[in-house]
Amino acid sequence: MLGTVRVEGLSKTYTVRQRKGLFKSEKRAVEALRGVTLDVQAGEIFGLLGPNGAGKTTLIKILTTLLLPTSGDVWVNGYHVRKQENQVRATVGCMLMGERGLYWKLTGRENLDYFGALYHLPPAARKRRSMEIIDLLALGDIADRTVETYSSGQKMKLAFGKALINDAPLLVLDEPTNTLDVPSASELRAIVRDLNAQGKTIIYTTHIMAEAETLCDRVAIIDHGQLLALGAIDELKASLGREQVVRIEGVISSRALDAVRQVPGVRQATRTSLEGTELLTVVSANGHTNLPLLIAALSQAGALIQKISPEEVTLEDVFIAKTGRTLAEDTRAR
Amino acid sequence: MPDHSPTIRSRLAVVLASTRMRLLTISRYPGQLLLDIVIPIVFAAMPILLGRATAGADAAAAFAANTGTTNYVAYMLIGSSVFMIVSYAFWHMAYWLRWEQETGTLEALYLSPTHRIWVAAGTALYSCLRGIFSALAAFLVGSLILRVQPFGGGASAGSFAPLGVAFLFILSGLIPLYGMTLLFGALVLKVKEANALINLMQWGISFLMGIFFPIAFFPPLLRLAALLFPPTWMTNGVRSALLGVGFFFREWYLDLAVLWAFMLVAPLLGYWVFARTEVSVRRNEGVGQF
Amino acid sequence: MVRKELILIARYPVNFVASFGQVFLIVAIFTLGSKTFSVSQVSPGAGAQAGAGNPAGVVIYGFILFMFLSDTLWTIGYNVRHEQVQGTLEQLYLSPASKFASLISRVANTLLWTGLLTLAASALMAAMIGRLPYENPGLGAYLLVMNLAGTFGLGFAFAALTLRIRETAQTMANLLQFVFLILCANFFPFSALPAPVLAVSRLLPLAYGVDAFRSALMGFPPGYPELAPIEVEVIIVTVFGLLMPVIGYALYRRAEDYARSTGTLSSF
Repeated sequence: MLGTVRVEGLSKTYTVRQRKGLFKSEKRAVEALRGVTLDVQAGEIFGLLGPNGAGKTTLIKILTTLLLPTSGDVWVNGYHVRKQENQVRATVGCMLMGERGLYWKLTGRENLDYFGALYHLPPAARKRRSMEIIDLLALGDIADRTVETYSSGQKMKLAFGKALINDAPLLVLDEPTNTLDVPSASELRAIVRDLNAQGKTIIYTTHIMAEAETLCDRVAIIDHGQLLALGAIDELKASLGREQVVRIEGVISSRALDAVRQVPGVRQATRTSLEGTELLTVVSANGHTNLPLLIAALSQAGALIQKISPEEVTLEDVFIAKTGRTLAEDTRAR
Repeated sequence: MPDHSPTIRSRLAVVLASTRMRLLTISRYPGQLLLDIVIPIVFAAMPILLGRATAGADAAAAFAANTGTTNYVAYMLIGSSVFMIVSYAFWHMAYWLRWEQETGTLEALYLSPTHRIWVAAGTALYSCLRGIFSALAAFLVGSLILRVQPFGGGASAGSFAPLGVAFLFILSGLIPLYGMTLLFGALVLKVKEANALINLMQWGISFLMGIFFPIAFFPPLLRLAALLFPPTWMTNGVRSALLGVGFFFREWYLDLAVLWAFMLVAPLLGYWVFARTEVSVRRNEGVGQF
Repeated sequence: MVRKELILIARYPVNFVASFGQVFLIVAIFTLGSKTFSVSQVSPGAGAQAGAGNPAGVVIYGFILFMFLSDTLWTIGYNVRHEQVQGTLEQLYLSPASKFASLISRVANTLLWTGLLTLAASALMAAMIGRLPYENPGLGAYLLVMNLAGTFGLGFAFAALTLRIRETAQTMANLLQFVFLILCANFFPFSALPAPVLAVSRLLPLAYGVDAFRSALMGFPPGYPELAPIEVEVIIVTVFGLLMPVIGYALYRRAEDYARSTGTLSSF
């Protein structure tokens, strides 16, 4: 039960006020979530993807009891979000507000100590846990400075550390690498993997597809309040039913070309010349699994391979297929 | 996962942690504590100086005819000092959630398994400490600067009883006062124009409690409205104990009984309204929006 | 600008009502406070000291000037500090917009609102305690404009200080506001101040501004103005109003250059 999330028929409708002129306004209902059903399994890293305004934040806020749903049921770590709110809160570690969820006039250490108290950690445990987090995140040099003097990246790291204070079995991380530089982001992802290896379940939202692809075991794609896709990344990619293309540069004889055409799964193989180099383009249903067979066939036929460029279906391709637009495009439009 | 179920001890630890957090925060604003002492003295100085200028040598006598004491300096200082306690109660409590919203920490608070009432209690304790410190320091320093006997009138030389009674009125008034601020905090949570509301409310309360004048100046209906506010009883109680201006019901223990009656009603009502408003906000927009 | 103010009133009705309510309450509190010294309770000031003037005039005209001075003197510095905290001050400097216009615009909109509030306050005060003297409106208006110009200059200087010492400037502003309330005698005659304090008041152009403004509008009752003859006070206020904006703006540009050379525009 611990480390699991179950969502059944979750809906959330907001009432917003639209201004019409100086004194008039009218109320409008906005459906932020419509009948979402999903589950998160213990011990996995679960990605939540979607464009801005898709309903990701609404979903996360309901999971973490910040927002009450309009209808539907949600169980987090086996506890119902409406009927057992405090148990849900006690068993979840959250990083939702980025650098804003910190007291700027307190030091990093004081922030961790205060939040530890809010999670009912005894004083000795708070002190020990704060030190562990400070060491883990290499915040030792700045732990005793007030947060207002931190850089954005340092604040994000501390905010991440705050999510770890209660050592919860489930972590909810909303774009945790936002504003971090490349090395720090990489370091944080490594820590997330380590925490997952220790058995923690992690719900991870991100705008960076590559991050989701490398980190997540399964992802859910949400748009306009609806769940559009859910599954392991490989499954989602395969679900597109797209053919994969491999481009091979080198010295490719006719015999090598025939050999490639005989490899199982190859639908089409074409040889062209490009600036004095021969380019073999192979279209197959399972490009990245039969690549070793292609290489073997070419080698046995005497071909000289200089460069291999597989074009794989990416998670971005899945996203585009499901939502009709790229994540970058959506951000620009907003 | 280690078991950190809440206990009475851990809840009290939350109260103390919340108080400590606020004290640490204010200690890092340079000069703020000095300001806490200066403000009530300056507020009190204004009507004092105006009164001296307009009434001249007859100031004390004219004042006594209207209020029951010649010690107008102490009278004004008591008013402005008690006002500081009231003002801080409003700004710290009614504004508390709004402050957390603005600093971005409100959601973090709601994500924790601690009920807000314990954090609110910690904030109230901080507000009490800061308000009482400011009121006492301002009263004593103000008496020194304005060269007046702070405990003239009701207090006889060497007797601590009037001081004790004055303190009892302050302490008894605090709980209903904070109950009121929770009521008001609910309004702030809903309406969101916090600064404007709180500014209006604190001046409204200071008007009704007679910060610089006796509420006998009010027409009957307004006087009745004033008597519905605990700060009015607090202010008059302290003035009567220290300066002998006269309790509303003639005896100090009868006025104190009224404050204790407020103590029973105000906090429960305030908390009930606040809790319902909080649920309504969470239902619609969540607590992070502002 | 008027349209924008109307939109704000419609969208933030509580702010609108609260501003008026606050003014009414502050005026009522000080009026009733002064009544406690009155023998008759009907018209405070009956039996008043020579030199006390009309207490209504002393308080309300001092209050009007206090409201305008607060807007111009402190708001500029507060706004600069707010932008520093938000992190948007740097953004401003990336744009080609005039820095002078940027400083002025921070308070220009609020002055209209303050004007309305002070009119309301005057009407309330007059209703509560009787006739409010109203003489020499032209001179009063001139003195108001010169005072405002001078305090704009002080506001620029204070904004310069904010750029240099950041948060400490905010606390200083809070403290100085209250000190100025006493030294400029906004709510009582200067004659009420002890001699050492009065000596300090005489060093402040703002004090002469308050004295001249309310003396003119009260029609120069006996003992008014209190600090110096009106001709001298008008000269002081005029020089203050003309020179201070120049000095203040120069100080601000200097502080700005310093911040840009040390890279502290965005410093919290």
